[in-house]
Amino acid sequence: MSTTVNLAQPARKEDARLVSGTGAFTSDHVTPDALHLAVVRSVHAHARLRAVDISQAAQAPGVHWVITAQDLDAAGVQGIPTPYTVKNQDGSDQRVVRMPALAREAVHFVGQPIVFVVADTPWQAQDAAELVMVDYEPLEAVVDPRAAVQPGAPVLHAQAPNNLSAHFAVGDAAAVQAVFDQAPLVSRLTVNSQRLMGVPMEPRAVVARHDAATGVTTVYSPSQGINGLKGFLTALTGLPAEQLRLENHDVGGSFGLRSGAYSEHAGVIFASRRLGKPVAWVGSRSESFLSDWHGRALSLEGEIALDRSGRMLAIRFTDWVEVGAYNAMMSTFIGTRNLSITMGGVYDVGALCMQSRMVYTNTTPMSAYRGAGRPDIAYAIERLVDFAAHEHGFDPVALRRQNFITPEAFPYKTALGTVYDRCESERLMNRALQVADHAGFEQRRQAAAQRGRLRGLGLSTFLESSGAGGAPKDQVRARFGADGRLTLFGVTGPSGQGHETSFAQIIATHLGWPPERVNYRASDPAEQLVGNGTGGSRSLYGAGSAIANLCQRIPEVLASQAASLLGVAQVTWSQGAWHAGDRSLSLADCIDQTPAERRSQWDLLGEATSGVTYPNGCHVAEVEIDPQTGTTELIQYVAIDDLGKVISPQLVQGQVHGGVVQGWGQAFCEQVVYDESGQLLTGSFMDYALPRLGDVQRIVNETIEVPTTLNLLGSKGVGESGCTGSLPALANAVMSALRPHGVNAMDMPFTPEKVWRAVQGR
Amino acid sequence: MQTLNLRVNGQPIRLDLDERTLLVDVLRQHLGLTGTHVGCDTTQCGCCTVLMNGRNVKACTVLAVQAQDAEVTTIEGLAGPQGQPHPVQEAFSQCHALQCGFCTPGMVMATVGLLQACPRPTREQIVEGLEGNLCRCTGYLNIAKAVEQAAQTLGEGQA
Repeated sequence: MSTTVNLAQPARKEDARLVSGTGAFTSDHVTPDALHLAVVRSVHAHARLRAVDISQAAQAPGVHWVITAQDLDAAGVQGIPTPYTVKNQDGSDQRVVRMPALAREAVHFVGQPIVFVVADTPWQAQDAAELVMVDYEPLEAVVDPRAAVQPGAPVLHAQAPNNLSAHFAVGDAAAVQAVFDQAPLVSRLTVNSQRLMGVPMEPRAVVARHDAATGVTTVYSPSQGINGLKGFLTALTGLPAEQLRLENHDVGGSFGLRSGAYSEHAGVIFASRRLGKPVAWVGSRSESFLSDWHGRALSLEGEIALDRSGRMLAIRFTDWVEVGAYNAMMSTFIGTRNLSITMGGVYDVGALCMQSRMVYTNTTPMSAYRGAGRPDIAYAIERLVDFAAHEHGFDPVALRRQNFITPEAFPYKTALGTVYDRCESERLMNRALQVADHAGFEQRRQAAAQRGRLRGLGLSTFLESSGAGGAPKDQVRARFGADGRLTLFGVTGPSGQGHETSFAQIIATHLGWPPERVNYRASDPAEQLVGNGTGGSRSLYGAGSAIANLCQRIPEVLASQAASLLGVAQVTWSQGAWHAGDRSLSLADCIDQTPAERRSQWDLLGEATSGVTYPNGCHVAEVEIDPQTGTTELIQYVAIDDLGKVISPQLVQGQVHGGVVQGWGQAFCEQVVYDESGQLLTGSFMDYALPRLGDVQRIVNETIEVPTTLNLLGSKGVGESGCTGSLPALANAVMSALRPHGVNAMDMPFTPEKVWRAVQGR
Repeated sequence: MQTLNLRVNGQPIRLDLDERTLLVDVLRQHLGLTGTHVGCDTTQCGCCTVLMNGRNVKACTVLAVQAQDAEVTTIEGLAGPQGQPHPVQEAFSQCHALQCGFCTPGMVMATVGLLQACPRPTREQIVEGLEGNLCRCTGYLNIAKAVEQAAQTLGEGQA
């Protein structure tokens, strides 16, 4: 069933507070009695710490505590957790080097925390931090992963003498090699998905408030869901879970950066526990650029084998994955599982294999950024397919069409063992080509050429894997409060997705309960629930399925009360009301007529287990390049997505817009740049180019619903499809425009300078 | 120390301050007006945009003493006398022009300032008027739509 987007919906429930400035972000919880923490960060990318002298800082006005690595060690702090590890291809364990919360003998990236200073005011803390004398012995640094594994390269960690954290492999390499040996047509293309900053608009911050009477420290911090963050904070601090209480209110963007623990969490928590006062660290944007985990930084060497008819026979990838200076959070997951899970794309390819080297460099540690490896592999495959089509004289559309996994082949098991539930690639591509007026492109190209401009059209047919999550299931608890409102408690913490709105919509659809009488509280600390945070585009179908289950439970649990209100022995539930003979009682009437103390006795818990599913789509980009300036104008962007069942078209459109424009940012302007010595050259918004209003003016989005049976809603998730589809569509469009100039490959970002040089042959 | 007199959202304010205090810190810390956000330290993101004497300023780059005797309006001061939202606030919500909401107060204030200076902006004028405000969530398309809708609503109100 095809849906047209109808945006005539009521405003989001979140909006009233956010447009009026009454939201509650982390730094809004800094009270006047709070102490302030400042961080002394390494100015070198690689250095031995000969001495750290805190004596002057400790004497400075307003200073309460200067915290060193030894203090944190004494407190039992364990370092930054690494939740996911793999075996090397030879069966041995990968090397894991946890980042210490504060550096001990050496520093390995610019911005690495060395000392915390806690003082009465932010200025005093900052002034005192500048009095900390760090005696560095600078060492040679390495920032390029291929250089880092060469003999003689600077070594970051003694336990990894070749700077290799893991050498992972998946698939039958010998079988794939045999196919390549026999294949008549082979294409090879290396693509780089450059290092990016996630840049949520709310800079990272932590506030902690210790209660000496209970021994519990309340922590305010941006998060993607408290269960995950709490687990990581206990792993970081060594504190038992019951001594930490997490508060999660408004979160100013996440994109994967908010799931885990950082050094500053440890500093703020222990300072509050020792000093008995609230302690706050509100990071500056400069600190975020230096020390928020970076994203992407993947170099993917792809090879594809085809027969003479264009049938895809095998795809092989050799990946270089930057770990950064330490194994922090999700880098292994990105560089292994997420690069391989959808490695064949939407194509029926008999032989697949991949190997990836995960390499330490003197750079900020890597973790998840929107898609976390899945946009990167989709980009690599769709560039490779386009490149191969042109290299061997196939039409890129026809080549795709010829190799799609056909609808009747689902569930489809790839050569790497991934099982795709269901997608209809050809149907989506046909619609996308129609909406984008693919047939008229050649005419538009010629018209543009008359105006001296280079027009290009590129497409991507892609799928990505939305997340199963680490928790075995998702639970949501409901309470009908004294105020007559239904409050839902769940684990998944929103950061702009609109959970409050879409969850209320599910309740309204199933129960006929007015959405304006629904609250969603992400992760109320009083609730002991199982569930996942946001991540992998899974909140809607994970927590949403738990709510759908809750909507079955509520009429069952409340049936006896409804019967007693109706004065009958038995009721049946349908269409949002209980019925007995010709009488009926809506849920709202039942609640309004039931005393509050009775309502509080109901045990209303919904839960669901949701499998991995595969949002997919076809995106088409059309661009015009001015050969005189090298600037690229995005004329039109068409996104046709199969996200399974859509709950809120408005929120889906918002996610598609945001995802596509983040992809545009990677394609055209964003990149983290280090110099050879490991100094960060893109340390502010003046050097790191973020998309601005006007860069992307026209996105046409539609959804085609091919529901999944792997969750109760039939939804597949939307958070990451925009950036997954847009990287290859935009890149293929640019290549389409430049190909007449003999340019077949170029790395993102396609800056005016790079494009101009390519066109001008300089 | 320096004595600062100004009006914020119509209220007269008198404070004794360290001279290096920024206007945004006066708003957030001294007055508890936490709707004005800080998203960077280089005057690039616009999350801290407020109106000072009717014009947009980025409050992170204005020393409080520069606001001596000024009239400052923050996001908290936009609503009407009965608390009804300003047409720009309404348009942002109706057009789904916000997701996480962190940049939103700055975007809304920048839009209010833009529409005061330029009541019927073209798309190019909107692009120019909001080029100093960053948003990471929405991709900006709905923000541009909200500005156009607010311009229309405000224009009708004056007709």
